[in-house]
Amino acid sequence: MSASSDDIAVIGWAQTPMVRHTDKSETQLLMEAITKAIAPLGLGRADIDFTCLGSCDYITGQAFSFVSNLDAIGAWPPKRDSHVEMDGAWALYEAWLRLQEGDIEIAVVTGSGRSSTGDPALIYPMEMDPYFLAPLGADPLTFAALQARAVIAAGIADERSMAEVAVRARGTGDVESLLAEGYIRQPLRRHDVPPITDGAAAMVLATGDRARQLVGRPAYITGFDHRTECHNPSFRALGDSPSTRIAAEAAGLGDAAVEVAELQAAFTHEELLLRDVLGFGDDVAVNRSGGALRENPIMATGLCRIGHAADHIFGGGSRALAHSTSGPCLQQNLICILEGGS
Amino acid sequence: MSTTPVAVVGVGQTHHKSRRLDVSFGGLVREAVFRSLEDAQMSLDDIDAVVLGKAPDLFEGVMKPELYLSDALGAVGKPMFRVHTAGSVGGTTAIVAASHVQAGKHRTVLAVAFEKQSEGNAQFALGSGKGASLGAGGAFAPFIRAYIQRSGAPEHIGWKVAVKDRLNALKNTYAHLKIEDISIEKVRASPMMWEPTRFLESCPSSDGACAVVITDEAGGEAAAADGRPPAWILASSSRSEPPSFPGRDPVRPAAALQCAADVYTAAGITDPRRQIDTAELYVPFSWLEPIWLEAFGLADEGAGWKLVDDGTTELGGSLPVNASGGVLSSNPIGASGLLRFAEAANQVRGAAGEHQVDGAKVALGMAYGANNQYFSTWAVGSSLHPFG
Amino acid sequence: MTRFIESTITFPYKRSLGPVVGAFMSALTEKQILGIRCQDAVLVPPMEWDPATGAELPHQFVEVGPAGTVESWTWVATPSVQHPLEHPFAFAMVRLDGATTPLLHAVDAGTPESMSEGMRVAPRWRGTREGRIDDIICFVPGEAAETEGEDTGGAAEPVTRMDYLASITYRNPVPEAADRATEASRQHRLLGLRCPTCGRVYAGGRGLCPVDAIELGPDCEVDLPHKGTITNFAIVTPVQYPGQTETEPFVRAFVLLDGTDVIVPYSVVIELPADQVKVGQRVDAVWASPAEMTDEGGGMGGSWGSLLGWIPNGEPDLDDPDLVNRIF
Repeated sequence: MSASSDDIAVIGWAQTPMVRHTDKSETQLLMEAITKAIAPLGLGRADIDFTCLGSCDYITGQAFSFVSNLDAIGAWPPKRDSHVEMDGAWALYEAWLRLQEGDIEIAVVTGSGRSSTGDPALIYPMEMDPYFLAPLGADPLTFAALQARAVIAAGIADERSMAEVAVRARGTGDVESLLAEGYIRQPLRRHDVPPITDGAAAMVLATGDRARQLVGRPAYITGFDHRTECHNPSFRALGDSPSTRIAAEAAGLGDAAVEVAELQAAFTHEELLLRDVLGFGDDVAVNRSGGALRENPIMATGLCRIGHAADHIFGGGSRALAHSTSGPCLQQNLICILEGGS
Repeated sequence: MSTTPVAVVGVGQTHHKSRRLDVSFGGLVREAVFRSLEDAQMSLDDIDAVVLGKAPDLFEGVMKPELYLSDALGAVGKPMFRVHTAGSVGGTTAIVAASHVQAGKHRTVLAVAFEKQSEGNAQFALGSGKGASLGAGGAFAPFIRAYIQRSGAPEHIGWKVAVKDRLNALKNTYAHLKIEDISIEKVRASPMMWEPTRFLESCPSSDGACAVVITDEAGGEAAAADGRPPAWILASSSRSEPPSFPGRDPVRPAAALQCAADVYTAAGITDPRRQIDTAELYVPFSWLEPIWLEAFGLADEGAGWKLVDDGTTELGGSLPVNASGGVLSSNPIGASGLLRFAEAANQVRGAAGEHQVDGAKVALGMAYGANNQYFSTWAVGSSLHPFG
Repeated sequence: MTRFIESTITFPYKRSLGPVVGAFMSALTEKQILGIRCQDAVLVPPMEWDPATGAELPHQFVEVGPAGTVESWTWVATPSVQHPLEHPFAFAMVRLDGATTPLLHAVDAGTPESMSEGMRVAPRWRGTREGRIDDIICFVPGEAAETEGEDTGGAAEPVTRMDYLASITYRNPVPEAADRATEASRQHRLLGLRCPTCGRVYAGGRGLCPVDAIELGPDCEVDLPHKGTITNFAIVTPVQYPGQTETEPFVRAFVLLDGTDVIVPYSVVIELPADQVKVGQRVDAVWASPAEMTDEGGGMGGSWGSLLGWIPNGEPDLDDPDLVNRIF
């Protein structure tokens, strides 16, 4: 017997404090996030049927770094468990598939990273084409700047609208003074780029009746999809995000309006591009949480987007969209749609 | 584990070698992918999603290589997923790919795993770049010592496994180590590496890849109707336990026992020793064979070594183990688990070639990782109801 | 005040290139830039497969450039150690003449004001070329390619591999429990943490119980004995790799502390040759003198701090068949 794909819901989530430098290990961060996510639901670790963790060895700076994170999940007796070298949003995708198999009811997924420990400008070139790009130290800021130019050239953004995104996301500053600052990678200014954040998040998923038993208003996952593009930005039209478009369509974005959207836009132009591709007008409240421009705990940033979207449903909202991404210039994109009614 | 039928209809692997200097990363994985597609009589267009597994990115110095390999794997416009569960990753890759189909989300999914060990150094990566890396051999030697003392097994058991798997490898086109004159004498005379493990009782370092095409019931039946028997996935499970705490037993890990129980319960296997015709167990050091025979219920506790000693696990025996030559003969780490799952599938498809186990109807594929902490297992059958 | 420890992971990877990247890199040594035909397009950099579909491409190489046109760019005011130039430069998408797609590379243009879309650039070649993308040091404004230093000509053999040196430094915080264990070791105390739920004790500054998944704070601290028994061990024959510190077989032993359930894993043994270590051997802790103290701790590493290892204490071996099973 399998669970219907639209009868699986997010029933809770939690995050650690999001800080510039944590003094905790990744395992400690996860320990805290998981406990904070399950305790209010009256659940203990023994109630968790399946865990899937998302983290990255090169962010952590150690091979098999996720192995010690087993200490945080209470894997004794041993748990059904998996790990993705991806953002926790993809860990959620795996758990969502797994729950549909119908034999288990509750899953916990996590995303965790301490990106403060290394220099992103030196780490990220290692995810680029190993022959043509990594040896040049081709860094994420460079690719973001090149994509920003393309998005501006496509008429989707300009430096002013990018600054407006920054002001709205961070709730501080004014556009005129931001635009008076110099470039850090033309056309990007300091305000266009994300902070470095340490943190972790954990999310609880449950199937149908169990979800309804545990919370009054589960956030049902009614659409979930992710797609990739070719890797090298040389071969892509950077003023577009076709993989986001396909994922959104497959997730059923067009079926009804969403009230809020949480987009993993670490750079201001990414939010404008994603809004454009998703066809959002002013009626969709985007990144009320401040998004990745306010807090960017790499490997958990996407999962936090889904968490904030779930909060909208918990609070009485009816439909919300969350987005996550990975790779240079939004190479890979994930869309998760949450609803108050199954 | 759902009862929605899911089938393996294509299997491909590279020729595994110490150094595949003739290929790029993309070239290596594509060699396996195109073999699996040819086997499935499919093209990249028929694939709805790709799941990639590999061991730590430090092995090759490419972070999240699923990004670079997206287009090499024909995944553009499709979901591209990356799994990493230590040494068990290849097995988990197959299980997660099957989950994509079981959930009804995708019809046909490609599971791919690879390692290109020659680009870096495994001992370096296992020690995260620090000196005095134990390596896998050093990490497992204490477990082996404990097993030997506990079971009272004679020392030649390790040598026998090493000889058996290398003899099997001679029948496997793709195997890395082909030691024509392998013998007990030769194993015994090889250097002591991690006492009690000798050099020839240890796995090689390989470059290699494996790919498996997994599809839904209709796809499996279509292949069967076309005279290309599928392997039906009867059950699967992944279980993990923490690295260390007082009372943890790495020789008979609870996660392994639970993983086996999950699979056997879901597949309706009540007497694994008799109902399973052949097993591909993750055996990177020879003594792991009796250890896993016991943990996976294929032998009574303390008696796994006897199945080695009396020839039961040889290719001609009643429970052949690692007919392919196993990890002892080819070890592209991230792919080694998927190779176990793929070889098990090939056995029940009757597609194992020279190392085919006659009449195999039910086979077990198993992989493990870290300090005997991560376990992935599937049971596959030549039919959905092999026990009637 | 949080303490941080720096560690650098450095490894000289060696990439094999395969037929297409290999042809491109070989041509670079001849100061030629190759694209590959992909239907109507000429892809630069050349790929083995069609990036859109994954279809295998026939090896139809096309020489492009060497000059090209800047399609897009950004200014790098503060280059990283990995970047091609040490002074400010532009990263640009350069469409080489005859190519359909742009190549990312550096342009040495002096100032951002000198950069523009549509500007013409040409390669500045390295005099001695190995068959790497940085055989092109960068591009320079104009139509004329230049060579820096003496031109030593093309590679004698086709290029099939390339070096890639990865080096990343991490600065990790030391969790409080680890820090306290290290600090206690300076006073020659072996600190354990007793889980209030299950009663298990953990040494080595591991501030949590994995069974109950709870953190263990200072209130859980207990002092552990300095005497124990070797339960099991590994004798490791070292394999050489960059960063390896060992040349001879070395021992890592598991020590069960007297009267406890605590194993000190992967312990260094002192004055105990690899061929003499055995299960049941009685040992005592060996501590660093204050003069030997370093920030990196003693011979055990990590939060074991001043605990250098374990030395046979002359007591008779223990004969307990279950000892060998005590690994964790």
